Order: sequence, then C-alpha cells, then structure tokens
Amino acid sequence: MSPKEVKYKIASFIRKSRIGFIVEKIRIKYVDYLTSALEIILSATVGFLIVAVLLYFMGYDPYEVFSILFRYGYGNTSYLLSKSVPYVMSAMAFSIPLLAGVFNIGGESQLYVGAFTSLLVTYYTANPVLGLLAGLLAGGGLGLFISILRVYRNINEVIAAIMINWTMYFLLVYLITGTYYDPRMPHQSIQVPKSAWLGEFISPWGRIKVSFILAIIGACVIYYILYYTNIGYLLRVSGLSPLSARYAGYNPRKAILYSMLLGGAMAGLGGALFIIGDVHSIDTTMSTLYGLGFTGIGIGLLGRNHPIGIIFAAIFFSGLLIGGQWVELKTGAPPQLTDTIIGIIVIALAIPYAYRMLISMVRRWRIK
Amino acid sequence: MIEDIINMLSNTFTTMTPLILAGVGEIITERSGVVNIGLEGIFILSSFTTAVATFYTGNPYFGLLLGAFVGFLSGVLHGAVSVYLRGDQIIAGIGYNSLAYGLSLMIMITLWQSYGQSPRVEKIPSLSIKVTQGSAIIISPVTILAIFIAIGVWWWLFKTSSGLKLRACGEDPRAAEAMGVNVFRTRFYATVLGATLTGIGGAYLVVGWIGRFTKFISAGRGFIALANVAFSNWNPLMAIVGGFVFGFFDALSIYLPIKLQSEYQEMFTAESSLFCTIPYMATLVIVAIIMKKIKMPRALGKPYIKE
Repeated sequence: MSPKEVKYKIASFIRKSRIGFIVEKIRIKYVDYLTSALEIILSATVGFLIVAVLLYFMGYDPYEVFSILFRYGYGNTSYLLSKSVPYVMSAMAFSIPLLAGVFNIGGESQLYVGAFTSLLVTYYTANPVLGLLAGLLAGGGLGLFISILRVYRNINEVIAAIMINWTMYFLLVYLITGTYYDPRMPHQSIQVPKSAWLGEFISPWGRIKVSFILAIIGACVIYYILYYTNIGYLLRVSGLSPLSARYAGYNPRKAILYSMLLGGAMAGLGGALFIIGDVHSIDTTMSTLYGLGFTGIGIGLLGRNHPIGIIFAAIFFSGLLIGGQWVELKTGAPPQLTDTIIGIIVIALAIPYAYRMLISMVRRWRIK
Repeated sequence: MIEDIINMLSNTFTTMTPLILAGVGEIITERSGVVNIGLEGIFILSSFTTAVATFYTGNPYFGLLLGAFVGFLSGVLHGAVSVYLRGDQIIAGIGYNSLAYGLSLMIMITLWQSYGQSPRVEKIPSLSIKVTQGSAIIISPVTILAIFIAIGVWWWLFKTSSGLKLRACGEDPRAAEAMGVNVFRTRFYATVLGATLTGIGGAYLVVGWIGRFTKFISAGRGFIALANVAFSNWNPLMAIVGGFVFGFFDALSIYLPIKLQSEYQEMFTAESSLFCTIPYMATLVIVAIIMKKIKMPRALGKPYIKE
C-alpha cells in the first residue's frame, strides 16, 4: 500500500466510525466547549482570588491555607469519593428541573425526608434496598408536591421550596429529639442496623463505598433519561422554549411535574445513600444534613447541568469541603471560606454573557 | 386576655418591620423588572455588619447606617450582574445568599472565635405607648419609619412620572425605551434602592429586635419577604398589611410556646421546634390561597437586550 492509500484508509475509518462522529461534533461546537471551559476556569479563579484577598486581610497566609486545602482535601481518595455521594445527588436535584426551566431550591428538604424515611425503614426492616426505595419515593413525592403547587396554584417554586425546607428542618428536629432518639446517645437518632449497612470494596484506588458506585449508576441513568428518551427530550425542549414545546404538541406543565419528580427522587436517594452507606444516624441539631442540598446548587451549575459533569464537580467541591476542615485544624482559618468560594463561583457562573463578550473581544484582537 | 392581645400586637410590630422594609424594597426592584432572590443574603450580611459596627462603636444608629450601606453595595453587585452583564437573576441571587452566609460566619469566627452568635450589642431604644395598667405597646422608631417609607414609595410609584417610568421598565422595556427612559439605568437604580431598604431591615434585626447576630438570624425571613411581595400584588400599601399578617405568625411562633408553658407549668423541649414551623407553614398556606389572582410585572426576570 502506498502512503497515500494508508492516509485515505485512516481518513475513511475516522469518518465512518464513532470517533469520527465525536471529532466532527467537537469541531463544530468547539466554541461552545471553549466558552464552557473558560466559564468554569475563570469563575473558579475569581472565587479563589477574592477569598485569598479576604484571608490576607484577616491575617492568614493565603498560600499556606490553599496549599493545605488542596493537599489534604484531595489526599484521601476513598474518603473524597464517599463524601461526594450526597452532593452528586443533590446537584442533580437542582439540575434536572433547571433543564426544564424550574428552580428547585428544595433539594435540601427533599434530601432530609429521603434520609429520614430511609432511616426509619431500614431501622424496622433491616433491608437496605427497601430503605433506598423509600428515600427515593419520599424525595420524589416532596418534589412533586412543590411542582403541583407551581403548576396548579401558580406559586413561585423558590418561595414554596424555602418554606418547605424550613418546615422540614424543624419537623425533623422535633421528630429526632422527641421520638426517634437513641436511648444510649440522646444527641443522636436511632441507628441503621449493622446488617443493613452498605459495605465497601477494595480497588486499586483504595476502599470505595458501594454508595458511591450506586450514585454513579444513578447519574448514568439520569443521563440516559435526559438525552436518549422521550421524557428527557420533553424536559429539555420545554426548558429551552416553552412556546416551541407547545407548538410541537408537548405539554410544558407536564415537563415541570416530571422534572421535579425526578429531581426530588434523586435528592431523596442521595439522603438515603448518605444515611445507609455512610453516617448511619442523624444528630439532633441536623448538622449531618444541613447544607448538603444548598451546596448541590453550586455543583449543578459548575457541572453545566450535565449528569456526568456533575460527578466531577461534586468530587471537586467535596475536596474543597474536606480541605476546609483541615484548614481549620492546621491554621485556625474558618472552614466557611469554602462557602464563600462556592458563593462567588455561583455568582460568576450566572453571567455567561460576560464570558462570551470576553471571547469575542479576544477574537477581534486576533483578527487585527 | 386583653394583655395577650396587646403583647401579641407589640410582638407583631417587632416582627413585621424587616418584612415590610424588604418587601417594599423588593417591590421597587421587581416593578422595574429585576428579581432579587438575595434578600436573605442581604439580611444576613447587613445584620452582621451592624452587629460588628455597633459592637465596636457602641452607637446603634451608626450600625443601622452601615447596615444600609452594605445593602447598597449588595444592590450595586446584583444590579451590575443582572442589568449590565445580563446574568441569570435567580442564580446570581442564590450565589449571593451562599456568599453572604459564608462571609459573615467566616469573619465572625475570626473576630469573636464563636460559631453560633456574636456578643450582645447596644439597641435603639423603643417607644412604649401605655394602653392599660401594666401593659404597653412597644414599638421601635424603625417600625414607624418603615410604614412611612412604604407610604412614600406607594406615592412615588403610582402618583409621580418617575414612578410611572420605573413601572414601564418592568411592564414593557421596549416601550419605555421608546418613551425616552434609560432602561438600564432605571433598573440599576431600582435594584440598588431596593437592596438598601432590605439592608435597613437586616440592620433592624440586630439593633431593633434581637440585640446580637446569630447564625440563623434570618432563617428564611428573606423569602417570607418575597412571599409578602406576591401577597401584596406589587403594591407597597398592601405590603404593610402583608408584613402584619406574616409578622403575626412569626410572633405567634415565639409567643405561643411561652404562653402555653406558663399556663401548664411544664417545660417544652422537643415541642419547641414544632412551634418554629408555624411561620413557614402559614406563609405557604396564605400564598397558596391568594396566589391565583395576582398579576406580576410582565418583563419580570427577563434581562433587557438593547437592539
């Protein structure tokens, strides 16, 4: 074969195969990918820079703080991965409804009820599968409730979700301190029986919890539903343009109901996985669960509302959160610096127009 | 009985003030077409700043002023993001809430090495009006200020030409532009003004009511203020009524357990957190009842793109 023929064969192979399709897709959409990457990198940089300045003025050495944050945050792979489980799920609770154009701030309470019902079910039946199923259903039910209020009573879903979040918070504190506390340790709830714990297995990267694998499977299932089924198409079309969805014969209201049901179910499953697979009980001030749902919002946005992106974003954020606690131990700097970084990243991610403006400016400069 | 009513009234006057101030501020912002979900964050950050300023100067009026200034700065941030940079207003607000929570706790831990609350600070003295022997309605000067601000804003929005221009930006920005209104600038100023009023509300939480900064000082109150905006149908006068109604349930959740405890001579432990759910459930139910009939500004939440 002459070199020309070889070249031709390779070219035709690339064109025909799946790789060729992917290469072509990247070639067409490279500006989109570039903007996404730029958005993520720039917003994270801005977040870290602002917090570095704050730390400097508060009397800490930002270099030392950040080196501890990254060294300890990402040092222990198995802990990092098990910590990211509830975040993967609560981020999807925010992102799935967002694709359909609804803001689900209620991931927090959906996670609470999922965790609590799964705790009760596994306590009485000692069956982890039933527990996970109960958490899934409870979270989904609460998500559906918010979307019913939105669709049939026209209530702003943000207000409804926050009110339900606080109601559930205080209700659970009441239930745990009043009825379901552990008689041996009164500041904790009843425990998941040992036989129902989700175990862990040994892999080349250290011990990996079964709950992490289940979370990955959950994300993949959601990816399949969103991008390869009719329901997913309905969600995405009604999110991009409710009007065109209606012209195409879809019902955007149905999209809201489905998306909140799916999102709530994911948050509930996240709570269940966290309880059965990791912590096994809730403390009476709810500090085990508080904030898991809110952090999920930032993770969903950083993961570009894509289930696979969310997995990586969740691992990144849980590294930050673990590192934040180490920073407090080592330097005395408050761990809330991670909350601040996350807040700044979210604000920076809200302004995609700014990045597009930046790219077009760079392009104009290159043409000159 | 009459004493209970007077006590509840006096408590409601305390709890309704931040809801009225933030509600009226948000009405100005939303009438111009911008949503600011970050009321909760402004409450937290401005109440924290007020606590710090009052702690170090001992002057609650200065603290109030600085709280309003923090609200002003938050408004500048949200206005720049949502008006000039065409950002997603809801997401920016969510991010601001997280930022404010992290920032204030971070500085609180550095300043006072405390995770839950700040030390006590000076409060603005309240006026007390004697009704019967031994019972009086206690009302803070900030509450009276809030009611006057609400009336003034109503007059400005509905009776002056600049108020009409502001409402035009929220109903139909293109028509407003054709009328010769600078939509960007109007929306920006409205956002800043609304956030400043919310900042006063946040400062009031410390210097008018609780007397210290705590981690859960706001506890969803910013979102109850948002519910108040919808309840009032974007009318500042109705926001006073809404503030009274929502504030009543807030006061009830504080007053009811105390009353029941003294009545039955027993301490509540677990049940006390059950009473805390009252304001949230009441808000949800009230909003569910009235929400069908409201009419929101038509261009609300949509960034204006000039052609």
